[in-house]
Amino acid sequence: MVNNMKQTFLVHNDIVYTYENLLDDLNNKEIYSTYIYVQDNNPYEIFLSIIHSLLYDYPIEILDGDFSEKEIDELGLNVGNVLMTSKITESSHFLHFDEVMQQIQAIEKWHLTLYTSGTTGRPKKVSHTFHSFTRNVKKHNKLENDVWAFAYNPTHMAGLQVFFQALLNQNTLIYIFGESLKNVPTLIKKYQVTNISATPTFYRNVLPYLQDDIYSIIKRVTFGGEKFDAALVVKLNSIFPNAKITNVYASTEAGSLFAARGDEFEIKAEYQQLIKTSAENELCIHYSLLGASLHEQQKNEWFHTGDLVEMVDQNHFKFLSRQSDMINVGGYKVNPFEVEDLLIQVPGVNDILVKSKKNSVTGELIVADVVKDSKIDGKELKIAIKKFAVAHLQEWKVPRIIKFVDELPCTRTGKKVRK
Amino acid sequence: MQELLDIVNEMREEAGKSTIEKLEPSMDLRDDLELDSLMLAELTVRLEDEFDIDIFEDGIIQTIGDILIKINGK
Repeated sequence: MVNNMKQTFLVHNDIVYTYENLLDDLNNKEIYSTYIYVQDNNPYEIFLSIIHSLLYDYPIEILDGDFSEKEIDELGLNVGNVLMTSKITESSHFLHFDEVMQQIQAIEKWHLTLYTSGTTGRPKKVSHTFHSFTRNVKKHNKLENDVWAFAYNPTHMAGLQVFFQALLNQNTLIYIFGESLKNVPTLIKKYQVTNISATPTFYRNVLPYLQDDIYSIIKRVTFGGEKFDAALVVKLNSIFPNAKITNVYASTEAGSLFAARGDEFEIKAEYQQLIKTSAENELCIHYSLLGASLHEQQKNEWFHTGDLVEMVDQNHFKFLSRQSDMINVGGYKVNPFEVEDLLIQVPGVNDILVKSKKNSVTGELIVADVVKDSKIDGKELKIAIKKFAVAHLQEWKVPRIIKFVDELPCTRTGKKVRK
Repeated sequence: MQELLDIVNEMREEAGKSTIEKLEPSMDLRDDLELDSLMLAELTVRLEDEFDIDIFEDGIIQTIGDILIKINGK
């Protein structure tokens, strides 16, 4: 592939990074770390670190830049170790980005580890090989000129999928995640964006700024991570008349596995034997399709996804709902137990139940019922709970609405009723 | 309008922010009131509790005026 080195690799906050800049920074990198824990999740630094690890074939672990020290602790990690860097002693000098891409083909030891919010206790660690990350990446000459609007958190599975798709085709990435939404139309036009991938929540929020125009240059619109929203598809169709709209099923454990034109996901022929449903209609995926760290532990076993599905025919299924307690806030999974364990520590909170509230903006939202100490003022306690939550949790895990109750409902076995 | 202002201020107070004195129909929820998607979701749920209407259900809401139309037109 002949790549023009002046071509843009990434645009973030009005800063343009070309493939030439990227090559220079790879050549001149002086320190490295086996952890990626970047302040503000700066995408260029994250991508540079990932490409560097691929180039020199060392495993790397990726953490959200907004994790608090407590959240890092809970992953079983030590902040000091995470922030430790080493000096690079030997490095090669690459003259062209094509040489970098060739070198990457030869990797053996590389894997990337990320964390998924576990349903009980500690988040689970999942390591992926280059193969499991790029299993569904399409590489083709006709994709060479794709320009991607990057609308995901760069430290999560969906964002990494877009990154690899763009990197392997040496495309341009326009970072619009965390960007003020009113700038999105300008960015799409200015950089001639052809592909967008985002959560339904992101599209629903950016629609007010896009609806007065038609963007015929967009040829592909992808969404995933949340429940299918048919009304949203209708709106996207009118704004992006030339776009093929695809719904993707991906998870931290498995990467990207299924795609759908509407709400019926297709099981590819090669996965037929590796996908099944349980008696309770739960989607099960064979461990050989999962991240390396998982399938080594559990050979010949089935991974229960917690997603309830309905088989339409042998090769197609629809999602019905989630079986587990996990709450999906705009594409981010929240473990209610984690939030409860933290907030029970706030003085004045005698008991707390964290649950989901449905809404049309983010699908679900975290709310809490609290049994409070009668001596404490309600308003002050609400402020204290939120302040404590904001200091220790990622923002989508923070209960937005707190209600005071006399007691929390329990099942006969004494478990809290979460509905 | 007063009820809506109370709800917005309750949200701001609980989040440790200063309250605002007045709402104008022309105020943009995202640009003027600086509500992100999580805050918009919170506002939606609070309004649904109060007025029994889902403001984001079928359309695109951009300003305080858009919310008032929804509330008054239900």
